[in-house]
Amino acid sequence: MKRFGVLLCAVLLSGAARYETSGSDTEAFTRPIDGLDGEHAASFRKGSGIFRQAWVIGPSQDHPDFVGLGPFYNRLSCIACHVKNGRGAAPDSENGVARTMAARLSVEGKDAHGGPRVHPDYGAQLNPEGVPGVAGEGQAVVDYAEFDVALSDGAIVRLRRPTLAFRNLAYGPLGPETKTSLRNAPPVFGLGLLESVAEAEILAGAGRPNFVFSVETGQRTLGRFGLKANQPNLKQQIANAFVEDIGITSSLFPAESCAPSHSECRRGASTPELTDAQLDAVVSYIRALAPPARRNLDDPRVKDGEILFREIGCSDCHRDALHVADFPLQPALNGVEIHPYTDLLLHDMGDGLADGREDFEAGPRDWRTPPLWGLGLAGKGGDGADFLHDGRARTPAEAILWHGGEAKPSADAFRNLPEPQRDALLAFLNSL
Amino acid sequence: MIRAVAVAAFASFFNLLCAAQSGASANETITVVTSFPEELTTRCEREFERGHPQIHVQFVWKQSRDALVELAKPGQGGADVYWAPAPANFALLRDRGAFRKISVDRAALPGRLGAQQLSDPAGLYEAYDVAGYGVVSNPSALAAAGLSAPRRWRDLASPEYARQLAMPIASKVGFSPALYDIVLQSEGWDAGWRLLSEIAGEATLLDSGFAPTASVREGKAALALTIDFFAEIARANGAAVEMIYPERRAFLPAHVAMTAGSEHVAAAQAFIDFLLSTDGQRLMMERDSRRHPARPDAYQSASKGFANPFALPASTLLDYDSEIGRRRPPLITLLFDLAIVEGHAESAELWRTIHDAEKKFAGNAKGMAPLGEAKRLAGFIPVSESDAGTRTFLDRFARRDAIDAQQIARWREEIGAARRQARDLVKGLEPAP
Repeated sequence: MKRFGVLLCAVLLSGAARYETSGSDTEAFTRPIDGLDGEHAASFRKGSGIFRQAWVIGPSQDHPDFVGLGPFYNRLSCIACHVKNGRGAAPDSENGVARTMAARLSVEGKDAHGGPRVHPDYGAQLNPEGVPGVAGEGQAVVDYAEFDVALSDGAIVRLRRPTLAFRNLAYGPLGPETKTSLRNAPPVFGLGLLESVAEAEILAGAGRPNFVFSVETGQRTLGRFGLKANQPNLKQQIANAFVEDIGITSSLFPAESCAPSHSECRRGASTPELTDAQLDAVVSYIRALAPPARRNLDDPRVKDGEILFREIGCSDCHRDALHVADFPLQPALNGVEIHPYTDLLLHDMGDGLADGREDFEAGPRDWRTPPLWGLGLAGKGGDGADFLHDGRARTPAEAILWHGGEAKPSADAFRNLPEPQRDALLAFLNSL
Repeated sequence: MIRAVAVAAFASFFNLLCAAQSGASANETITVVTSFPEELTTRCEREFERGHPQIHVQFVWKQSRDALVELAKPGQGGADVYWAPAPANFALLRDRGAFRKISVDRAALPGRLGAQQLSDPAGLYEAYDVAGYGVVSNPSALAAAGLSAPRRWRDLASPEYARQLAMPIASKVGFSPALYDIVLQSEGWDAGWRLLSEIAGEATLLDSGFAPTASVREGKAALALTIDFFAEIARANGAAVEMIYPERRAFLPAHVAMTAGSEHVAAAQAFIDFLLSTDGQRLMMERDSRRHPARPDAYQSASKGFANPFALPASTLLDYDSEIGRRRPPLITLLFDLAIVEGHAESAELWRTIHDAEKKFAGNAKGMAPLGEAKRLAGFIPVSESDAGTRTFLDRFARRDAIDAQQIARWREEIGAARRQARDLVKGLEPAP
């Protein structure tokens, strides 16, 4: 609490803008950081429109600026997976179809830049849909096996272990050597602040960095975004999502996201389908989306839970404080302490969560610590409330119990907490 | 173009491959052309596929003009279902033989709202929802400004709402030609344009569909003209806004139809049945869609305060002429640009001058007399009510690239001349006593 008081005073005295949005309603993940100037506010609005826009198969009289869908794609728009700017949802229980998730695909080895070697017939990601005349690649379906975990006081938590399968594969079998990784759409707010954290501050954390390929500079660069920290910055993350998820090329990714064997398709567009101006607007939009402010700070359980969060080691990886180094959208925030509860670094999370797939320097059991801000509002706006990289955890408690590897001591400590303390820890998480 | 050729060649190659593999798939895919937003299409897809796991729904997103092109292609672009808020398209495509008759439960789906026919009488397309048109307001902002909520369209012309109002530009916002046609059908062609000109005089003109509601939600305007679901979505998500339906409400339908060329008739019918079922219709009332079902029994689960058009007395509904309405949008769009968007600042000054003069000469019949003529000239539109109700005249504006440029120039000049006369009339008024 003292920390928040100090921060509040600092903000008031400096006249600095808040980095959080105070509303906890259903639009909590959709608001910009306070105090954007006119140009950035206009760019935010433009980017918001593009983020929500359904892309079309050309030519188009109605939407000539949004032409180029496919030939393969997952959904028509960004918002279809990042529902209300929050998480995607776990697959349907009735038929297991993963709708807001991407199934990443690769084979043994690395590509020319050190990244995963994409599947020869399906590319980097399974795209369920194809434009008319082009068969979608197939569907990723998930089946769950439920099992019970007993806590030390006898309480039972039911977990579900997902099994990923594929059906209706249109271009032949994947092959036994194929590596797969199911990834749920993550929240998109607060990312501009994370992008602004100085590299030195990130590298001072306890995890391992993922150094990845920057398409723009051609350099080996610290990865910050993506569930395995496989993207160096928001521009590349967003442009990559456009081409992989919607089939929209850009100056950063000028070739269609087609498998190596589909050379005709890979020839791609003569000009980028997403213009640089559109890409810049979406980047501005995502950069400016504010994380929601915490709630119930005076609740004694929340206070106790925050202490426990540190005591059992959660904050070793879910770092509770980072600093804005350089934030051009709102320079008043430079130097401000933020509380994303991530270190943006990789950690071995154990066999239970392993996808068995390398991604640059991330190993098969590694995941980047996900930010926890906004966790307590997950699902409130119609977004998904399924956690971990593949949405297998239906509650934060389930997510904690899946932690293994480096995080196993913390998960074990949670198992051993008396019920009131467990509840306090969960109350703290719900306040984020 | 290079890409189009490449994709076509690619598609051709994989057509062969897929044909060879088609026997291996137990699934059936139906293609649905739609312009509904992804919040709604995704919900419908998900709920439908839960109950029909053997059928996959693929959406092809096309707005009105693109949809017409797509459904006119050989094989109708592979589409099985057309589902969209585009009444003119459905009537046109029906006339071209683009649809196959569908069966519906007429006891549950009336296909009418009061005297207004919503669905095709021959069963070639069915109403899916109805959308209302009116004014989104911020009650707190109105109260703070000492203003009461408008009850009729003509109330909005009151000078007390000047600079408090926002409205969409007809050529930029898809729903707005229908919105303005409702005003015109409610108030009459000439009086309606005069009213729109007066309302727009000092209003802010906006170029996107959600902008009117956003401007009210953000406190930039106290009132804005809109289609109702934008306001209802904002309200359902916690915004302090209210939707006001002016007296004599109008609700216009969106439709669903099966294409004549569908090769998946049973699956397409199953999807249509789902959309029109009670459960399917309820989805559109969810927080991020907030549309009005065409099926009255779906309203049993509606949240408090959500309007049920089917529960309204027929006398409160506008007798909307949908045959005229479906042909007018291109003309309305053109005239709105000429008479309201072009020279907007000049028009705002003219209406401000007229309103000031009205205030000065209140109770002075002699002084007020020229002002009626000044208002008529300020809101002049160079198309007669008779022409605006004639099919052959209206059809001349159906294609934007075929409109006579000389006629547009003449109309622009006539509007400008009328405004100059109006300005001269007001300038020539005797000083107020």
